[in-house]
Amino acid sequence: MDPMTLIGQSSPLGYPAPYWFLVMFKVLGFILHMVPMHLWFAGILIAMHFRMSKHEYARTLSNRLMKQMPIIIALGVNFGIVPLLFMQVAYHKAFYPATILMAWYWLAIVLLLTVAYYGIYIYAAALKNGAGKMTRISLVSGWVSSVLFLAIGFIFSNGFSLMANIGAWPKLWESTSVAGAPLGIGLNLADHSLLPRYLMMFGLALLTTATYIAFDSAFFARKESTAYRKWAPAFAFRLYTVGIIWFVLTGSWYVFGTWPGNVRSAMFAMPTGILTIITAIGPGSVWLLLMLKFRNEISKPLALAIGIFQFAVLAVNAVSRQIVQNVEIGAYYDVTSEQVNIQWSPMILFLLLFVVGVGVVIWMLRKAVTEARQTIS
Amino acid sequence: MHYPWWYVPFLTSPMLIAAISVLHVVVSHYAVGGGIFLAVETRKAYQTGNNQYLGYLKDHAWFFILVTVVYGAITGVGIWWTIGLASPLATETLIHTFVFAWGMEYVFFAIEIVSAFIFFYFWGKLTPRTHLIVANIYAFSAWMSLVIITAITAFMLNPGSWPNNHNMWAGFFNPQFIPQVLARTGGAFLLTSLYVYLHASFKVKDQQLRNLIEQRSARPALLGAILIVLGGGGWFFTLPESARFALAAASVLNVLMVIIFVLTAAVFVMMYLGPYRNPGWLSPGFAILFFACGLTAVATGEYIREAVRKPYIAYNVVTSNQILPQEIPGLKQNGYLEGGRWTSAWVTKNYPQAVQGKTIDEDKLLTLPETDQQKIGHVLFQYHCNDCHASENGYAAVGHLIRGWTPEMIKLVVEHPEKAHFFMPPFAGTPQEAELLTKYLIGIAPAHPEGMNYGNNQ
Repeated sequence: MDPMTLIGQSSPLGYPAPYWFLVMFKVLGFILHMVPMHLWFAGILIAMHFRMSKHEYARTLSNRLMKQMPIIIALGVNFGIVPLLFMQVAYHKAFYPATILMAWYWLAIVLLLTVAYYGIYIYAAALKNGAGKMTRISLVSGWVSSVLFLAIGFIFSNGFSLMANIGAWPKLWESTSVAGAPLGIGLNLADHSLLPRYLMMFGLALLTTATYIAFDSAFFARKESTAYRKWAPAFAFRLYTVGIIWFVLTGSWYVFGTWPGNVRSAMFAMPTGILTIITAIGPGSVWLLLMLKFRNEISKPLALAIGIFQFAVLAVNAVSRQIVQNVEIGAYYDVTSEQVNIQWSPMILFLLLFVVGVGVVIWMLRKAVTEARQTIS
Repeated sequence: MHYPWWYVPFLTSPMLIAAISVLHVVVSHYAVGGGIFLAVETRKAYQTGNNQYLGYLKDHAWFFILVTVVYGAITGVGIWWTIGLASPLATETLIHTFVFAWGMEYVFFAIEIVSAFIFFYFWGKLTPRTHLIVANIYAFSAWMSLVIITAITAFMLNPGSWPNNHNMWAGFFNPQFIPQVLARTGGAFLLTSLYVYLHASFKVKDQQLRNLIEQRSARPALLGAILIVLGGGGWFFTLPESARFALAAASVLNVLMVIIFVLTAAVFVMMYLGPYRNPGWLSPGFAILFFACGLTAVATGEYIREAVRKPYIAYNVVTSNQILPQEIPGLKQNGYLEGGRWTSAWVTKNYPQAVQGKTIDEDKLLTLPETDQQKIGHVLFQYHCNDCHASENGYAAVGHLIRGWTPEMIKLVVEHPEKAHFFMPPFAGTPQEAELLTKYLIGIAPAHPEGMNYGNNQ
């Protein structure tokens, strides 16, 4: 069966904004989402592992991460809405069929996320109440949440790889449908790129978590001992090193082992090839910065620089992913070719509100931090 | 038709939207009303220097965050998930129309999250003035979220002039907008009081503090009940004719409407005579009873809102079986199977002898063996009917609805469902396809119940 025959028609309403605008917000939202998402993806696992450590600072790090995790998850869920929204406008013809083919798994994310999130709250509440309040249920909740977040990541990888793997739709559909209607029990397991994609994201998550540990030690860990603030960047460096090795191995597997010819030609042709190279070697810049203060307390400016560089690493990665996705989908249809009927006044109002919203959030955070400092002093 | 149809045996996939929506709505209203409650009451507690009440409000803010920021936020995302899976064309249409409205709602939602965390986690570390500003920012953002989302749900019931001009603002400020905003704001106030009672009845032991909470929380509940009635009246009068008639025609909806108004009135009277005039009634049992009444009223309201839209998901914009009304004439002429991407691919794969190029020859389908014709009829059923009807058993199972019908009766309704029931969409296929669907339905129609005395079996 020709997969092209399964691609739906364009919306008669057209794009409400130019394609570049939609994809810009999709990518921007995904970059913002990746930061907290990485922290729960790899960070909870590390924190739970360190919970059992005999090393004092490892346990401190575990506690710090898990106490912050409820807020991190709230931000991550919130940031995840933006790419989801704009993706459904610009990629509806690929997104809906792919998720419908795996509907039960896709829907399960909601349940798994709820359980995982409350599990984190249970664990964090036990931490807040003191070491003696850590019951077996709290511990199990932490571990269960950690596993559930890994599972959620796997389902997401399935969804987004299937969205771009339109060639796999017919077989999956035929094998899991009743009278032509899918039961929603398919997964993109036959796709060779699925596992390396998933593992590569975990590698990136290790990098972001390592960066955050260094950042946290400089900005938020004033109450911790100087010894901890020296230990944290050193551990961050080691974790980043592991993350880079992981990223290089899985990334190589993904790029050289699974990319079809059209994707390879597109990503290695100039000028996109430069982006591909930066995507591959970008993490090295953060690694070098972390090495500068290996075994020393990290200064705020350096921590900020490390954070900005890691954000840039994620941004470049997200842009590369978007180009790969477009090339993969582009083999079946052109996402940029839909008619555009710009909704000028709603778009301008949204942009204004976006700027005002960012301003309000910054004002509240500044006010909160300033007044909290005055209260403490 | 445009997209694959997600087959959920027994239940039908749109029922999952209803389930998750109800689970979400009972918390999302609290997220709005609770924010306003916390802002108003924290101000009162600061003004009166009532530290005991402030302590309770902090305790309640933690409960509020646990319920709204976690459960409320995720079930909100859950609605996105399910509407995309079970109503993809309607979701596509709504998102193409309201993407910037949703974008604005997202901005308010982001502000809500940040302000809620600052309000709670920085309690005691901020000056009262800043604390109250943050509380007010939360309350305003949450209410604006309600306004924007309500505009979109109101559009689904009555899009106003949007079908003619496709102007986003025309769709946003639709005839249902103000009534639904009033009713939902009222619902938010009322539900919040019930949440506060529930929480306080378990957590607060001091009788004086309990009495204060009862009395203070009764006011928004009474205001909420009035707003619900006002908004409900406006909602009824701005319904499209088909929705009003659907409400009148379906006995179950009649009963549910009565339930809503009776429950709202009962809660109003109990609230006035109890907590407002004679504080001291608050007990866990009383609070649970109130809370159950509130949840029942909200869930019932949501069910009615969904039910009266039939045969549309968005009135005159997308039908309940995922077709744009303007597509129907073409489908009647060229065939539903041919018009749908996935149905067309299915026929091409399974019966290539009936396909020439992209054209399906329906006459050839009628020459296939009977079992094959029923199989094709089953595909038509899945894509054309399963959004509202399970097949043999389950939600609104068509098998039970046509029990004992003659083939002629079945065919008549298949050909003109909209004439049999105006809340069903028309059959968007050719006469040959109606024949195929009829054959499938005849195959699953159970016999008329035996042993019934109509006076002619002596």
